[in-house]
Amino acid sequence: MRIAAWAAVAVLAATISCQSSDVSRAVGARCDTNAECDTKCLQPSGDWPGGFCTLLCDDSSGCPSDARCIDEEGGVCAFTCTDDPSCAFLGTGYACKAVDSKGAGAKVMVCRGG
Amino acid sequence: MSRRLIATALVLASTTAFADAPSTDTPPTTTVAVGAPDAPPDLGDQGIGAELGAATGGHITPGGLRIAGHYLYQLSSQDWFDGIAAFTFGGGTAACFRDRMDVYICDHGLAQGDEIEIAATVRHFFGQNRDQFWPFLRGGVGIGIVRYSSDGVTGLAIPVHAGAGIRASITPTLALTIEGDVQLGFGAFNHTLGLEPQLGLALTAGVEFKL
Repeated sequence: MRIAAWAAVAVLAATISCQSSDVSRAVGARCDTNAECDTKCLQPSGDWPGGFCTLLCDDSSGCPSDARCIDEEGGVCAFTCTDDPSCAFLGTGYACKAVDSKGAGAKVMVCRGG
Repeated sequence: MSRRLIATALVLASTTAFADAPSTDTPPTTTVAVGAPDAPPDLGDQGIGAELGAATGGHITPGGLRIAGHYLYQLSSQDWFDGIAAFTFGGGTAACFRDRMDVYICDHGLAQGDEIEIAATVRHFFGQNRDQFWPFLRGGVGIGIVRYSSDGVTGLAIPVHAGAGIRASITPTLALTIEGDVQLGFGAFNHTLGLEPQLGLALTAGVEFKL
């Protein structure tokens, strides 16, 4: 009985501690409207399958450490990548592509559709 | 079957709680020795109290400012029924989103969200013949409504409570309390969240009056 109680507590604690995600309301969550994100929703399209929550930026200093500021929609944050499999966590339709960065004047590899 | 039910009801109806027993100057000799009380003598058979403190939660358990009201009713020489109405005010910004698998996730901070809860617990004093400070344990179950207004998330929570504290007698009718409480349970939420675990911790201090 006591062992069962402790097991239940352990399972509950593990459930709570494991509740995490690679994405967030700031960058990466699925969305249809801006209300689902901290700042902006790039609405579902071929470029952003499933919708993509992002932050507005002038350069990459305004993005999380695993994201870069790209020259789209006036400057938005997108996850950096090295190859297509590194974008797999975003789901089908995303690939690692070279796009214009904002604020740095060069190409940068980020996950996006299209 | 009906006779057995009636007999059971009669037995229960004829049973009186400790607080309903006729008041006498002599405490029950079977459990309390003269001059050596098992519980704070100033608490009486009924009391009320109010507490203020902080609660921490996280994910989908509310945390923030905790205000609670208590109603105490003596059950035995060391045990009191402790009925609680508690309010938690955390507020906070939106923290729920859909992950890439389209699963709705909430990741609130330690002090976010609001809750109103009622709980039925039993407070057990231990030690004997203490002068002023009376330690106690408390356990029971509650039911509450949890609300994260920024996300439009609402749920019904059923937590189990386990706590410990100290009651300090100040005057013959007034005492101060401080206690810690752990809540563990589940809540059913909207927005496809479904059944979610509840795990919280509260630290409160308050005052109690004898009725």
